[in-house]
Amino acid sequence: MSGPWWRIGWRNLGRNPRRSLFTAGGLAVGYAAVVVMTGLGRGMVAEMIGNGTGILSGQLQVHAEGYLPERSVHETIGGREGIDVDALVGAVAADPTVSAAAPRLYGGGLVSAGDHTLAAGFVGIDPAREPAVSAIMAAGETGRLPGAGENELWIGREMARQLDVDAGDIVVVVAPAADGSLGNDLFTVAGVFRSGLGDVDASVAFIPLDALQQLMALPPGRVHEVAARIADPWDAAAAEERLLGELATDFPGTAPRAWNRFQPEMVEYAALFESMEWVIIVVVFIMAVFGVANTMLMATFERRREFALLLAIGTTPGVILRSVIWEAFVLGVVSLTLGAILTFPVLVWWHNAPPDMSWLYGDFTMAGGLIRPVLRVEYPPEMMVLGAVALFATALLAAVLPAYRAGRLPPADTLAGR
Amino acid sequence: MSRFLDGHAGVLGRLALRNVRRQGRRSILTSLAMVVGIGLLVFSRSMADGGHEDWIDAGVRLGSGHVTIQSPDFATRRTLAERLSPTDLEAALAAVSDVGREGGILETATRLEVRGLASSPGGALPVVVAGVEPDVESRFSQLDERLIDGEYLPDGDELAAFVGVDLAERLDLQLGSRLVLTGQDAAGDISGQLVRVRGIFRSGLPEVDTRIVHVRLGIARDWLGAEGSATSVALLLESSSLVDRSARRLGQLLADVPGADVLTWPEAMPELEAAVRMDDFGDYVFHIITLIIVALAVINTILMSVLNRTREFGVTRALGMTRRDTGAQVMIEGVLLSAVSGFVGIVLGLAVTWVFFRNGLDFSGLMENGMEAAGVIIDPVIYPKFRLPTLLGSVGFVFAIGVGASIYPAYRATRIEVAEAMKFEA
Amino acid sequence: MVLLRIRERPGRPVLTSMLGLGVLLCAAGGLGGQNTAEEIVDRVDRMMRGESSRGRVEMEIVTQHWTRSMVMEISSLGTEHALIRIASPRKDAGTTTLKSGNEIWNYLPRVDRTIKLPSSLMGSAWMGSHFTNDDLVKEHRLIEDYDIEISFEGSRDGVDVWEFRLKPRPEAAVIWDRISYQVRKSDLMPVWARFYDERDDLIRTIEWSEYDRSSGRLVPMLMTIEPADKPGESTTVRYTDLAFDVPLTEADFSLRTLRSPP
Repeated sequence: MSGPWWRIGWRNLGRNPRRSLFTAGGLAVGYAAVVVMTGLGRGMVAEMIGNGTGILSGQLQVHAEGYLPERSVHETIGGREGIDVDALVGAVAADPTVSAAAPRLYGGGLVSAGDHTLAAGFVGIDPAREPAVSAIMAAGETGRLPGAGENELWIGREMARQLDVDAGDIVVVVAPAADGSLGNDLFTVAGVFRSGLGDVDASVAFIPLDALQQLMALPPGRVHEVAARIADPWDAAAAEERLLGELATDFPGTAPRAWNRFQPEMVEYAALFESMEWVIIVVVFIMAVFGVANTMLMATFERRREFALLLAIGTTPGVILRSVIWEAFVLGVVSLTLGAILTFPVLVWWHNAPPDMSWLYGDFTMAGGLIRPVLRVEYPPEMMVLGAVALFATALLAAVLPAYRAGRLPPADTLAGR
Repeated sequence: MSRFLDGHAGVLGRLALRNVRRQGRRSILTSLAMVVGIGLLVFSRSMADGGHEDWIDAGVRLGSGHVTIQSPDFATRRTLAERLSPTDLEAALAAVSDVGREGGILETATRLEVRGLASSPGGALPVVVAGVEPDVESRFSQLDERLIDGEYLPDGDELAAFVGVDLAERLDLQLGSRLVLTGQDAAGDISGQLVRVRGIFRSGLPEVDTRIVHVRLGIARDWLGAEGSATSVALLLESSSLVDRSARRLGQLLADVPGADVLTWPEAMPELEAAVRMDDFGDYVFHIITLIIVALAVINTILMSVLNRTREFGVTRALGMTRRDTGAQVMIEGVLLSAVSGFVGIVLGLAVTWVFFRNGLDFSGLMENGMEAAGVIIDPVIYPKFRLPTLLGSVGFVFAIGVGASIYPAYRATRIEVAEAMKFEA
Repeated sequence: MVLLRIRERPGRPVLTSMLGLGVLLCAAGGLGGQNTAEEIVDRVDRMMRGESSRGRVEMEIVTQHWTRSMVMEISSLGTEHALIRIASPRKDAGTTTLKSGNEIWNYLPRVDRTIKLPSSLMGSAWMGSHFTNDDLVKEHRLIEDYDIEISFEGSRDGVDVWEFRLKPRPEAAVIWDRISYQVRKSDLMPVWARFYDERDDLIRTIEWSEYDRSSGRLVPMLMTIEPADKPGESTTVRYTDLAFDVPLTEADFSLRTLRSPP
């Protein structure tokens, strides 16, 4: 019963290596389960929020104060005079968490090709800036992105199907202009995208901002929105707070809004998943406690002769207790190592090269955010730590009771075999 | 193991039983792990099954049913031109009544759907108007349960309309309000129909609450000049497990009616299926992990009991038991232990689920805005569902664990050498 | 064709009135005293339709955000056919709307294309005005859709008038809950019509004035429509030229004539 703690623990475990390995295996699987499952859950939430905000809306939007909820065509930022769009985009992009910002103009009208005519929403975008903000610009199936200043369209696969057109075809675009006239012009379908969002794929057409402004008889300074990309969506609320102050002086009458304000149901979903993480960790380690506790109990029971002998020759119960605790601790270290070996390759692989699970499920939405079958797991750092803490707690908890009992054994009885 | 199937087996069984009893503490600890594991499995499976069934139920009720019969192009085009002709509809309804109640069909909803415009003095919005049979539909879509004002298409009121709360708000509608529906009729002309708002519902889904208008089938047919026809026949089944069978049967019956296609809900609503499968997948992973942990614990205790009894096995071997017998004895012990604790676990799981959660597990505190997934509002109260296949699955798991966890210890037991074992001090 | 703002006020009698502007019959000589309300309104109504007409109007639209005026040429045949071609401003010149039965087609000269309006856009505004596309296509007679009674008969501001109260028939596909309609007794000229919803809130008002016989028949040359919920907004239609019984046939209201005016 001497030597450094790890040697005591190791030696004790070594008496029955197979049993120790199984026990450590149970704990390791538990640890892996907690980390991988919470990682998958977070991956899902990240996918939901990432797609829910990243495909189109951006993580933060700036509008004129009165723009929402009516979204009147006339409520452009800066009112009738408009604003210096570049300056506003620059001011938004200057926030440390904002990686890119892009102006947008919204309109609506008709798209017509041959005998087919559809009602559509139009989004005027800056082809140079938009791809850094919204993922839909990267969702092209055929053709290419529209070019600035060109009468070109970027439409969804479903709209293309309904109009019976594809990249390169000419369509008529009709939009009521801001001066009451009827804007209409010929446009070329530059490319066709598929976002997976039914409404967007069927009824939204992206048009270079300057071309849409011309169609709608609006000067270049008039836009409805500046959308920003924030790499970590959870930084958006703080960015909103900062921009509220930053924009107030140079751009009065603007209202920045983070995604959690225009998509509150996603926040609730994230909270639900977070509570599920607790369920997972508690359930898994309850199972582990039962698995480990009985092993430890039995190990202690088996060694009661040894303990009795030690007590009989004058070892204090405290020393015995410590020795059992050290054993549990080393078990924890071994389990955690095993768990890490089990967990991290899977986690790193699943994070960096998410497997295509389309054999299992197809696209679906959650709180309006798209979930695709290629789902990346996110690293759950708190759960890695918390899982480790739970692992040690389980091993120790399971060891303390038997050790305590071992320390209180009446040596004579035990030695006598009673 | 032929030997232990004859008279021998009794002896081995008794031996195993005695051992399980003798090692009371260990047996109890082992079974505790199993009882908790299996109980948890039963509980979470019934909740998940219940949740999914609710989910599918909500989806198919608001959508196209578990199974739907419609014209082949209706799914993509959704215009009146792709409707079931009166003869196709007749054939479809005949096939449905042929499959009938024995085939698990609970409700048959004939619907005539058209996209059009709803106008009031307050404005005009594009909507989907569904001509329905109110008595069937109230049991089918259960939209009437979402009623917040008025009533659902009351009897004798031919012009009644049932609208969503968002539509009512945006068009400034109240009970009794005039609403003019405009749409392209069967002849391709644009025609209008007056209806009056008799009920207002809130489903929680913005698309449904602004876009869906229910009117009587009769008035929709009159208005659209589509006498005797419908765009779809939606079927509600007793359970989603009957879908494939019923769809196959209907497909056979309608094989010679090219105008009528039979679609199952996963075909009609692939999004919903994807969400259910994903969720199911997560559950399975969780269960498998739980069970691996349980299995490891069981292996461990059985293995330990084997090693502890090396001397005992040595003795029984010296008394004439073969290696096989020894292995079999350990297997029986393991399976016996698993069977008993598995059984207790299943019963406990069912009991706990029934006693505490038969009235539903309420998540609504966590969700204020209503949860949408795959276009369906998820009921925040989950009711457990006890399904025989799931239960059998749990029993299977119990045996898999029992057998799986006993194999290695049993193998170890067969390796015990008599001479060595006699030297062994427990 | 305002698409995203499909919350304009739709309604039917406007179209009748507007297109009817060209076909108002001279009703001088009046009616006998024994006429019922329905007969009188039907008489006014029928005067607003019927044969062919060709005219030129100035339309001035005032909204909160912009004001503009257009000059357009309108020709009509019966209630089924109408062709409206914009002459100015230059930006919209040549833009043409064809109403044929219940369908609306637009010809856009800038892109040289013809577009049929989808039914879901019937409720949206026509050319930015306070008329909806729906206003253009509905052509039921008033007496088919409404029960009519005289709510007032006598002198208003020194003019002898009838005021009618129009309540929609139980199954009539009209959105209004009530229309008040004032008609001069002497010549059956309409003065105003007011449209109400269920809460009896005024939704919009149409006023007629500048009755003129210069075209050979007595017609109101000016019509103004004002939505009640947008004070200050209005659409005014003024005839500058009008001829009746012009030689027009259905062939003049085809998709071909839509693209190339005769």
